[in-house]
Amino acid sequence: MEQNGYRKQVRGIYRFISDHLYYNRPDIEVKGEHFNSAILLSLLTALNRGKELIIGEPGLGKTTSAEFVCSLVYQFPLGVIWGSEVSGHPEQTEEKIIGRPDLGKLNRGEEDVIWTNFSQIPVKIVDEINRLPETKQSMILDGVDRGNWEYLNEMIINDEYCLFATANYHDGGTNTIIAPLVDRFDVMVESRYPGANLSFLVGKKRRKDEILRHPRYEKELYRVLKSKIDYEKKMTQMEEVCSAFGEHLHEALGVRPLQRQDRDKIRAEMETLGLDLDASAFTRMLLAECSFCDRYGQKRVVENCEEGCHYTSYLCHDIKNCASNRLPTSMTQYAQALAWLLGDSAVDIEHMKAITPYALSHRVQWRDDTLSQKERSQRDDPFPIFLAKEAVKAVSQRYRQQSDYIKDALAIGAKIFQGESLEPLDGDHPLYREIKKDVEVRQH
Amino acid sequence: MKGSPRAKARPSGLSGRHGSAIQNPFQEFQSYSFSRNDIPLDRIVQSTEAVMDQIRLGYEKLLEEEAKELVWMVQYNTIIKAYEVAERYVRDIHYSAEDIEDFCFALENTQKIPYLIPGPAGLYISALCNYAKEEEILLKLSELKTEINLLGFRLTKGKRLLIEGDAGDFTGIGLEGGDLVVEGNAKNWTGAGMRSGRILVKKNIGLHTGEWMMGGEIHVGGRVRGLGNIVEGQVFEREKMVFPGKVRHPNIDY
Repeated sequence: MEQNGYRKQVRGIYRFISDHLYYNRPDIEVKGEHFNSAILLSLLTALNRGKELIIGEPGLGKTTSAEFVCSLVYQFPLGVIWGSEVSGHPEQTEEKIIGRPDLGKLNRGEEDVIWTNFSQIPVKIVDEINRLPETKQSMILDGVDRGNWEYLNEMIINDEYCLFATANYHDGGTNTIIAPLVDRFDVMVESRYPGANLSFLVGKKRRKDEILRHPRYEKELYRVLKSKIDYEKKMTQMEEVCSAFGEHLHEALGVRPLQRQDRDKIRAEMETLGLDLDASAFTRMLLAECSFCDRYGQKRVVENCEEGCHYTSYLCHDIKNCASNRLPTSMTQYAQALAWLLGDSAVDIEHMKAITPYALSHRVQWRDDTLSQKERSQRDDPFPIFLAKEAVKAVSQRYRQQSDYIKDALAIGAKIFQGESLEPLDGDHPLYREIKKDVEVRQH
Repeated sequence: MKGSPRAKARPSGLSGRHGSAIQNPFQEFQSYSFSRNDIPLDRIVQSTEAVMDQIRLGYEKLLEEEAKELVWMVQYNTIIKAYEVAERYVRDIHYSAEDIEDFCFALENTQKIPYLIPGPAGLYISALCNYAKEEEILLKLSELKTEINLLGFRLTKGKRLLIEGDAGDFTGIGLEGGDLVVEGNAKNWTGAGMRSGRILVKKNIGLHTGEWMMGGEIHVGGRVRGLGNIVEGQVFEREKMVFPGKVRHPNIDY
């Protein structure tokens, strides 16, 4: 990893965006290094084939940050990215998002599909997703989940893709992103105001996005996208043009974008990074708190947490819904990506703690009394991310107090599964109960 | 500890009922060598729970013996008898002032304690306070919806009981030299029959204040709604002595 220089290349991209394109203040610290969460998580999303929801006030760079990252990670000129974006509005149709019938051929009695740029290119940006009706939101997220885009009886399969969706804060023109849909996003991040002084600089430097444009390559890519050749061949041709654009960027700007094989190798390297025991135990602890209910077996959004329960000091008391299985997947993937970026040999608890608030914030439905208690707290983050950070802080404090004991309990669980006759450990945390439940299944 | 790893003979195997391999969800911890059997936090939790169980049991016994029909009338002999029963259970328990506070909270906030009857509950808490090791005890009652009666019953010399929130009827009756402070209001018959010591009620106090009081002082930061038939002692309203004094009409608003 160190020899092939990919990490240096990715850090170069981060630095270039941060220094030249997206003025920002660092707002996240991991192991002594400071990053801006919007750029960092967008970069990890692009590398990781993830799905990111970017929230923020209008005009604070939600879409542009995603565009810059995608342009440099996937070597697409900005003009092509703009031409493939789906903009959220209530009249948006499947034909504009996925594909439409080829009317010329239809007149001749043949059925063929003209695929949209959005469905074809790996970079998928949906601007203001919450202005789309829920059916259209669902259509996009289904497509991105599976990598399949279907129209009429035809289908194209994306083998590499990532999704960025932006959302303004709730106003008169927005729909709600319903819970099952929002759960499909791996992370949620805020594109924040950079402060008055940097904002003033943004105002002075006009058209900074011109540096990521190239009309000739853009025309060439449009020609390839419009062509009627097989999708796989189209992708190969597109990659060639993209590589040429990447070379141009390297010569003109000194930043080297990633080619397809670079991205594949980076992903392969990320996947080799395992979780160390603390990262694993901490994640299990958090998941237990986000899903456990002593009385009803598990959290369910339709059931209320009773007062007087022994577990009222844990997260399960403050939240309404149950953590989905997508949560640990998102946490692990992004923590692996972060560990890779930092050059660490395994995912540790620091990576997990840094990533978790962004993977958790949009997925948790907090109880009304918890919301009203903390609504007016002093904070820097938007309310959902603030609450998630507080939750992670509380869980990590509990983990610090009993990390050895929890690892003992998990180790004993492992031994029982191996067939050893041991008693599971008792302790004051939902995780011990969860271990017991699993062990009971094994024992019976 | 209950959960300590104890080796038992049991057949091993990784296959389920149908011969399929069972996923070990703890696989990565297989090589982790466990050594500790318990942690201080766990011991604290367990011992606290054990003490609470004992305290709860004593209260339940008191209810069984003294409030069989879940009705309890405040009469001189019922108070004395119930307090004796409470003393019997309380004196053998090793608890701290925090445990008393936990018990007060548990009275309303847990299903483990079936009934909160203000009279016996107050007597039981008074017995807990009188037998506590600590000289100063703080009871945070402001969160409770029910006002507890008879708090501070027979509070002995050298003890200081601070009540955050309001107290019910018969607060500090039979005080025996202790120092009772109520941060909120107290209801009727406060300090009745007290012999010595001091009661400070920072807000208002109800009727029959100091009824058959034999000594000591009652200080009220707000308004005294009515004095009882006081034999001896002093009552102050907003630092002004109202007994002994000119206004001597018992149980009349003034």
